[in-house]
Amino acid sequence: MPKLVHNCLHLLVHDKCFQVLDEIAVDVASQPSATPKGKVDGQNTEDASRNIPSQGQIVRNSPASRLWRPAAQRNLRNQWSKLASLCNEWQTSASTARSHATSIVNSYLSQRYLDGMDFGVLSDMPNIRTKSCRKLFKQQELYKGELLSSYKDLAKTVTRMIDVCKSMRCYFRGTTNSPLAQFSFFSGDDSDSGDCGGMPVFTLSSIANFEELAWEIVSMFISEINLKRLLVMELLSIHNEKVAEVTQLHWSDEFYEGEFDDLSICSLYSKKTCEIVLPNLESSGSSTTAIIQYKQQKDSDTLQVYITTWMVEVNIDKYRVDEIFAIVGGEMHVDFLQTLN
Amino acid sequence: MESIVKKYQQRFRRIKDEMGRWEELQSRLISQFSNASSIIQRLQLILDSRNYGVLKSIEGIEDAVLRKQMDSLQAIFLSINKTMEEFRGVVSIIEKMVRDSGQLVGGGSAKQLTAKQLKQQIGLKPTLEDCLSGLRILEDMHQSEYRLKLSVVSALQDLALKPKSIGDLSALQQLLIDQPNIPREEVQCIYEIIFAEEIS
Repeated sequence: MPKLVHNCLHLLVHDKCFQVLDEIAVDVASQPSATPKGKVDGQNTEDASRNIPSQGQIVRNSPASRLWRPAAQRNLRNQWSKLASLCNEWQTSASTARSHATSIVNSYLSQRYLDGMDFGVLSDMPNIRTKSCRKLFKQQELYKGELLSSYKDLAKTVTRMIDVCKSMRCYFRGTTNSPLAQFSFFSGDDSDSGDCGGMPVFTLSSIANFEELAWEIVSMFISEINLKRLLVMELLSIHNEKVAEVTQLHWSDEFYEGEFDDLSICSLYSKKTCEIVLPNLESSGSSTTAIIQYKQQKDSDTLQVYITTWMVEVNIDKYRVDEIFAIVGGEMHVDFLQTLN
Repeated sequence: MESIVKKYQQRFRRIKDEMGRWEELQSRLISQFSNASSIIQRLQLILDSRNYGVLKSIEGIEDAVLRKQMDSLQAIFLSINKTMEEFRGVVSIIEKMVRDSGQLVGGGSAKQLTAKQLKQQIGLKPTLEDCLSGLRILEDMHQSEYRLKLSVVSALQDLALKPKSIGDLSALQQLLIDQPNIPREEVQCIYEIIFAEEIS
């Protein structure tokens, strides 16, 4: 009990001088080879190791934490800019995919209209109807390939977003006796949680807070990729059976090579049960029990609803995403909203 | 006398600049209008759960899609209102210029010009009467067109609430594009009279 009180006091004192000490810490971090400062620092670290029984774990009040802060700040800034640019990448791929989807739908509908179309003088040409249909069908297949590759880009983007969420922590590396403080973004030691005991990184938020906000954004994209997968499945399956037969895709199929690996990173695929999570709405918390595919031909209204659903991204709350980037940008003095489109 | 005509010509040049701005706003409004109308046209489809195909497996998808589309529609309406504000700005600048130019011919002051002076023409220069009526016609055109646009925009917002009569949408859009109150030839004609000497 007395020890706890002692620690708390220690903490208070240190919190007060953080502002000043931080500046020194930045200096040290930017020129790690500067011997005089390095030496001083080394002594500090040794002092700290004497105070703290559990070695490896940096705690809030240790001098090492003052070195940790600038390193953690740099890392967070990098990771969040990466997240912002990934959001932009998503936007680009999603709208490219949408134009491919529209092309698929259009060439499919044209094939159907060809049936009832009056070819006029052209009807004397041999097989004009069949030839036009074949041509449209080939186009449609081409667009399907494009849509699939855009979907793959989207899935890859989400996995990279998840990577970002997992790379926010900053671990202390090296021995406490070393005069040089080094940091790593991968945990090498189980006792080091990489968040410096929940210390605020900039002004208020700890690493855990930043992670929480990042996950809030990324989970929207995870839900959305799952919904888009359903739409891709449907769009790739549409065809005019009078022209050619294509194999219908099923929810359990792997759409491209390595898709299951990507989906399992997104926690949408379980390698154990070999099952893919069914799409749900991010907000409503509803549960989808099964996917019912209809064999019948899709009418243009349904296809238009598909395209609309693709476009509106029901799972992504743009206002909240902007808000989170504004909050985070405010703490780290970076204007992310300017880079977001 | 000549100097007054020159001052009038300056007004006409400035109004021409304002009309350039009007055209910019016009193309902005048309694109905002067509964005809104394509959403309104979709509303009927979105409201019908029979159109959801495989998406029906997902509970609540209809509401979610509808909500998103209504949000976008709301945002477009807000920007349309902003554009309308700017139109109003152009109209009031033209109004102000016309009002001020009344003072050039001494509205009510001691320097009141006679009817003869108003009709006096020097070479190719326009008469003062030409200037005065030209300005008033331009003012009138823009005032009426602004009022027409206001009613078209409010009709669009009404349609969003009752998407049944979407056939009117394209008619409204055409009305917006045509700008019937600002006939190009007539505007051209006014400018040809005012700047006759520069054209020849």
